[in-house]
Amino acid sequence: MTKKYIKPLILLTLTGVILLATSCKQAPVSQAPYQALIITGQNNHTWQGSSPILKKILENSDLFSVDIIQSPEAKADMSGFKPVFSNYDVVVLDYNGDAWPAETKKAFEEYVSQGGGVVSYHAADNSFREWKEYNKMTGLGGWGNRNETDGPFIHWKDGAFIRDSTTPGIGGYHGAQQAYQVTARDTVHPIMKGLPRIWRHAKDELYSQLRGPAENLTILATAWSDSTKGGSNRNEPVLMTVTYGKGRIFHTVLGHAMGDSAYPSMECVGFIFTLQRGAEWAATGQVTLPVPDDFPQFNTESKWPQFRPLTLDEILANLKDYHPGDTRTNLQDLTNYIRKNYDGGEKYAHVESELLKFLEGTGSIDAKNYICHELSIFGTDKALPALKKLQKKEETKEMARMAIERITTQYTNE
Amino acid sequence: MKHKTYTEMSEPKRIGRRIFVRKVAVGTGAAMALPYIIPSSAMGRDGKVAPSDRIVMGLIGAGSQGTGDMHNFMSKPEVQMVAACDVDKTHRDAIKAAIDGKYGTSDARTYSDYREFLANEKLDAVILALPDQWHAIIAIACANAKLDIYGEKPLSRTIWEGKKIVEAVEKNGVIWQTGSWQRSEAHFHRACELVINGRIGKVRFVEVGLPNGNPATVSHPVQPVPEGLDWDMWLGPAPSMPYRGVCHWDWRWILDYSGGQLTDWAGHHIDIAHWGLGLERTGPVEVSGSGVFPREGIFDVPVEYSLHATYANGLFMHFANERQLPHGMGVCWYGDNGWIHVDRGNRLFASDPKILEEKIGDNETRLYVSNDHFQNLLDCVRSRKETITPCQVAHRSISTALLGEIAMLTGRKIQWNPDTQEIINDPVASRLLRRPFRSPWKLEGN
Repeated sequence: MTKKYIKPLILLTLTGVILLATSCKQAPVSQAPYQALIITGQNNHTWQGSSPILKKILENSDLFSVDIIQSPEAKADMSGFKPVFSNYDVVVLDYNGDAWPAETKKAFEEYVSQGGGVVSYHAADNSFREWKEYNKMTGLGGWGNRNETDGPFIHWKDGAFIRDSTTPGIGGYHGAQQAYQVTARDTVHPIMKGLPRIWRHAKDELYSQLRGPAENLTILATAWSDSTKGGSNRNEPVLMTVTYGKGRIFHTVLGHAMGDSAYPSMECVGFIFTLQRGAEWAATGQVTLPVPDDFPQFNTESKWPQFRPLTLDEILANLKDYHPGDTRTNLQDLTNYIRKNYDGGEKYAHVESELLKFLEGTGSIDAKNYICHELSIFGTDKALPALKKLQKKEETKEMARMAIERITTQYTNE
Repeated sequence: MKHKTYTEMSEPKRIGRRIFVRKVAVGTGAAMALPYIIPSSAMGRDGKVAPSDRIVMGLIGAGSQGTGDMHNFMSKPEVQMVAACDVDKTHRDAIKAAIDGKYGTSDARTYSDYREFLANEKLDAVILALPDQWHAIIAIACANAKLDIYGEKPLSRTIWEGKKIVEAVEKNGVIWQTGSWQRSEAHFHRACELVINGRIGKVRFVEVGLPNGNPATVSHPVQPVPEGLDWDMWLGPAPSMPYRGVCHWDWRWILDYSGGQLTDWAGHHIDIAHWGLGLERTGPVEVSGSGVFPREGIFDVPVEYSLHATYANGLFMHFANERQLPHGMGVCWYGDNGWIHVDRGNRLFASDPKILEEKIGDNETRLYVSNDHFQNLLDCVRSRKETITPCQVAHRSISTALLGEIAMLTGRKIQWNPDTQEIINDPVASRLLRRPFRSPWKLEGN
């Protein structure tokens, strides 16, 4: 897809004020290889909160530079709403609102059918019941009076997907928000490769009994919609891909965002990472992003409050006052960080020098103890002077001795 | 006086020293060449065993597992239980009551320090049921004291400690039985004989399901050490830590003392998987995988773990907590012609039930038979033959799990040489083959 450097840039601020600039830049600001456009402006959710987060998530993958386009508000004149889809490798839909102008709809259909990428995020699959081609792109949708005329229900049962075209009923509802497990149903798809078979997703809505044309649909993952929480007692699709012409659509129902407080569902590493991979796949048909160490597992949530992994400085700051009984998340963040940066060379040398600085600082004894333990495994001779200093103080004597013993002993077959 | 010593023991319990015969034999280096056979006529007609023929036993670690083991041994007429050692007075009082209650006496002796126990007691055999951080130090001290040993699994907390136990047991010529009692259950034995004799064809893959981790995250504030508990001695070689109410039983959720369910159960199901494949005296050549560690509380062993081991013959083992596996708990071998799944509770299944009807001929591989895990030790104490689960075998089941633990803790794929027992080309991972002991603890001879 050709990239144009001259394009209308509509930037969204957190207050929702539109800054419109027709920029004449000669070169892209970002080194990111792909361009993404987030469409927002009308939603039954707090799009003012979710869209900037989606932008951060995509940018933090280092794969995308991201523009946000904000539609006119509800019931306003939409006739001027004409995003230039063809400028982008992927269009991310955070939109659930008024119909687009016919010309825009046609442009979008052409963009996708000719190979454009799309990410349908959360309530985007609530939008545009009347727009048939759009529903083919999302595959499944809900609300907006959807019913049996919109397509089958789809759910997973006994090792296969059930396509239920006979049962009448409304499409789309959800039970109480809760944390729940997501189960991979396609473990070979590039988006899913290397992910745990089951992982715990942070508190979110779980869309249930969606209906739609479900053509060219691949369901990547489901979640059990628990009837004791008002759910459907079905394994409901939560991550999907659809092909439409030459276009690729990644559809995530996850990521409910409402109100001013933090959105746990969007901070979930499972949401963030599948969105990043889904966008990459939609844009390119391939996935290069490696699974993060702290991807949530079976029963363990994992969040990135900054929508990216923490920096070493942040991790050490979080660790500073650690006492046993406090959350161990900060300890694990440190361990994961050390592991990821253990190259036996420069990268690790920097990490180790920061750890040694910490040992000389004002952190808690228990935090220092943990760092001594990590140094006992990963530490080099460079750690010895700082450890020997700790050995002179009663309260850190033993932990330092143990680290020194491990660093200086050869565990060969004695 | 808190602890009686040997010199205080009452005359009728001064047991004849059958062990003396054995020690002389061991001393001449001819123990294995001189089978010590007890003719059945030595047993009394009414099932009672003459005091001079009884095997005199003691217990170190009188918690729930040690107490259970002890009752199993005490139910044998040929055993005379005389003493127990525990760092907790509550345990000591209970175990003394149990022994005295069994014999209708009041002279069972108790100790809080195993060194005093070993110095004062003249035993034939000892039961060890300790938290894992203590296994090697005390097992080696007992082997050096020439005691035969019933040692609870896992053999050791680190691979290096396990090697040292094996060396001490071999050097001293003592008999070792590991608490891997599944081997003495007929259906486990049957499953392993079917597999090792090719009844499901060549096995290329085996799944080993171990319990899910304990997700408890209740807070454990520092609290006063209960009266009668020697907390510093309980910790022993493990890093110093204020008492937080985590001691008996729950020690197994803290890495300083245990590897959690993974290492607790390796001596059961990994052991059985090895047994059915003839891999019980070797180990994998590569181990990798990942775990999920608790994010709250003071427990730090993995609550989820999924590990892969490859053996030199190409066999691939997936060992994980049960809910990550299709068959759940137990061992499931997959061969070219079907699968066999075995688990506790007499559970034995196969892809085709006919497989389970297969006869094993006399000219085929017959595995060691024991119908009673405790009796097996006693028989071997007399015969000086190897038990059904000697320490060399227990060392291999726990080594596989411990390599998995190292893979999880370092995030690396571990290359392992099962012959030299070294991690190949990875000095960082190699450091975890051993752990530093808190001063002043060390292994005897090291």
